[in-house]
Amino acid sequence: MSDDVSDLLAVEFCGMRLATPLVLLSGCVGFGEEYTRVDGFSNRDVGAVCLKGTTLAPRLGNPPHRVYETPLGMLNAIGLQNPGARHVVDEILPKLDFAETRFIANVSGSTVEEYEEVTRIFDDSPIDAIEINISCPNVKEGGVAFGNDPDMSARVVAACRKITDKPLITKLSPNQTDIAENARRCIEAGTDAFAVINTLMGMAVDIESRTPFIGNNQGGLSGPAIKPIALLKVHQVYQVCRTHDIPIIGQGGILTAHDALEFIIAGASTVGIGTALFYDPLVCPKINAGIADYLRRHRLANVQQLVGSLVLHEATKKVCV
Amino acid sequence: MRGSSAPTETVVIAVKTAKTTHRNTIFVEAARVLAHDAYAGDQYILRVHAPRCAQHATPGSFAHLQCDPQLPMRRPLSIMRTSGSDGWVEFLYRAVGTGTRLLAQRKVGDDISLLGPIGRHFEPDQTRSRPLLIGGGVGIPPMVFLAEWLHRHQPHKQPLVLMGSETPFPFTPQRSAIDVGGVPAEASTAMPLLEQWRIASRLASQQKFAGCYQGYVTQLAAHWLDALTPPQRKDVEIFACGPHPMLAATAKLAQRYGIACQVSLEEFMACAVGGCAGCVVPVNTPAGPAMKRVCVDGPVFDATSVFF
Ligand SMILES: Cc1cc2nc3c(=O)[nH]c(=O)nc-3n(C[C@H](O)[C@H](O)[C@H](O)COP(=O)(O)OP(=O)(O)OC[C@H]3O[C@@H](n4cnc5c(N)ncnc54)[C@H](O)[C@@H]3O)c2cc1C
Ligand SMILES: Cc1cc2nc3c(=O)[nH]c(=O)nc-3n(C[C@H](O)[C@H](O)[C@H](O)COP(=O)(O)O)c2cc1C
Ligand code: FES
Repeated sequence: MSDDVSDLLAVEFCGMRLATPLVLLSGCVGFGEEYTRVDGFSNRDVGAVCLKGTTLAPRLGNPPHRVYETPLGMLNAIGLQNPGARHVVDEILPKLDFAETRFIANVSGSTVEEYEEVTRIFDDSPIDAIEINISCPNVKEGGVAFGNDPDMSARVVAACRKITDKPLITKLSPNQTDIAENARRCIEAGTDAFAVINTLMGMAVDIESRTPFIGNNQGGLSGPAIKPIALLKVHQVYQVCRTHDIPIIGQGGILTAHDALEFIIAGASTVGIGTALFYDPLVCPKINAGIADYLRRHRLANVQQLVGSLVLHEATKKVCV
Repeated sequence: MRGSSAPTETVVIAVKTAKTTHRNTIFVEAARVLAHDAYAGDQYILRVHAPRCAQHATPGSFAHLQCDPQLPMRRPLSIMRTSGSDGWVEFLYRAVGTGTRLLAQRKVGDDISLLGPIGRHFEPDQTRSRPLLIGGGVGIPPMVFLAEWLHRHQPHKQPLVLMGSETPFPFTPQRSAIDVGGVPAEASTAMPLLEQWRIASRLASQQKFAGCYQGYVTQLAAHWLDALTPPQRKDVEIFACGPHPMLAATAKLAQRYGIACQVSLEEFMACAVGGCAGCVVPVNTPAGPAMKRVCVDGPVFDATSVFF
């Protein structure tokens, strides 16, 4: 990247300087090193990498099949397969190259205490930030059960806040009635940022065997199919965030620079790339280039100047907010 | 088996050491279609220009192909043949659903985004001189690749390739000029390409195909194994790819005769580079049950770790 492109793309996020507004999303890139298998892929092309959802004890995850393609999207039910927080901190983090990008832990649990314990383990590690996943649709306890209840969401956030001074990002679920109200409660509880949105719950049926394709019966829907929903949720959460200066990692179906720009205009400071990597592992530099082009064309000095610049039509302003 | 003290030869020519990690071992290429031929039973042989994949592919590795740019998930296909010097890679696939049917529409001259080569390859044991290769249906491709590799790199061995198919084979079987002891006389035909390499092969099908053994390919394998002397049997190791029931039967056969066996597995895949844990299968390890990714921990696994 040339110097002027670096300046255009660099963003401030929770006091950290990110090289670009792109964030690789939890669950799509393992524990940070998997995609470097691909020649031409570099963690330097993104501002941050979110590691796979991590719990206190190791988890084997759900039975196969865990992924299934749907129209313009896919279902997944991995079930938080991970080797446990201690192993991640002791064995995996030392092997990551923190000079290439920022690494964000993705914390999950089935009790408030488990969220606390995992956060404590990551707090005492070189990890750059901690994302609280209260929106995983694929585990029986915790996850989305907490995320859909504003009281529980706030309790988890407050508990983790007490434990760490690292930037705390709360990952919100779209599977709830009033995402803005939930965001308000999480801000009160001390979150520094939001990730909006996690996957939507869905199902696909094999009509021959009359069973769901997904071993877990249901799964989380991601990809372009959810983009319009994700955009609206980012817009709604941004209305709450703007007055508190709380940034959002906008995500859900972003494939192109055009998609990324829509999210930024709707209020996202950074944008998540997940399912897009399955289409094209080398998509990140293309999105960076497209964003830089747009900023130049519109004579903007950086991404921040575009964040939340959405101009609503007068007639609908009231209903939307 | 792989834990035995016998030295195993490493198949890959340019293995990266553990220290340099796995970085930059999988390539993204705009693979130009060079040939795309249809065979009975919705089978296709696809040859594409993908020089980097061709150079680095090993028997058992696969590529993840974008059947159509609109599809969120690519489709995994085993690599059947490569030419490092001419830069092509060849696949054999059956059009079974959305993705493979779209792939079947791609014409000579089209570009297909290819991600590969991916996965752990078969590991022939240098000391075992009678590799038995068993391929079922569209599980045939990695067996052809392994046979070609043995032909080039371990010509002193006497491999036998057994193939089963319920639709006509995607080649014209020819009468074999190579003797194979133990197999019933009705199994008289072979795959022409393998004959060219002087590698013995025989065909099996439940259908009444002339020159084929009528029955399961694993039953044909049992005939051959039964006819070997115990010391000869000690020289055998099995490599298999095909439908799950065929692999399960092969694993049982291997266990019955105390023979080492490597199988290539399939599972639905999203990333195919180890990032999503979407493609796992339950596997037994010394440390207990584990979920292993077919894409990068496999697709080749020790049969005992999967089936027993
Ligand atoms: C490592 C590996 C190597 C393979 N090699 C070959 C080969 O050489 N030749 C060949 O014909 N087939 C091969 N397959 C199977 C091939 O990938 C599937 O037939 C194909 O993905 C089906 O896609 P579809 O969209 O046409 O079918 P659909 O049934 O419409 O697929 C729906 C979804 O299920 C997935 N899916 C369905 N069946 C399979 C399967 N058996 N394996 C993996 N995913 C599946 C698809 O990828 C897709 O996401 C291989 C699979 C793997 C994992
Ligand atoms: C295979 C897969 C696994 C995922 N695992 C996690 C996870 O462990 N924790 C989490 O917070 N989100 C997880 N997600 C959700 C993504 O991080 C992301 O929020 C979602 O996929 C929407 O973005 P996308 O449409 O760009 O993929 C996963 C998504 C996929 C596709
Ligand atoms: S397909 Fe993603 S880990 Fe194997």
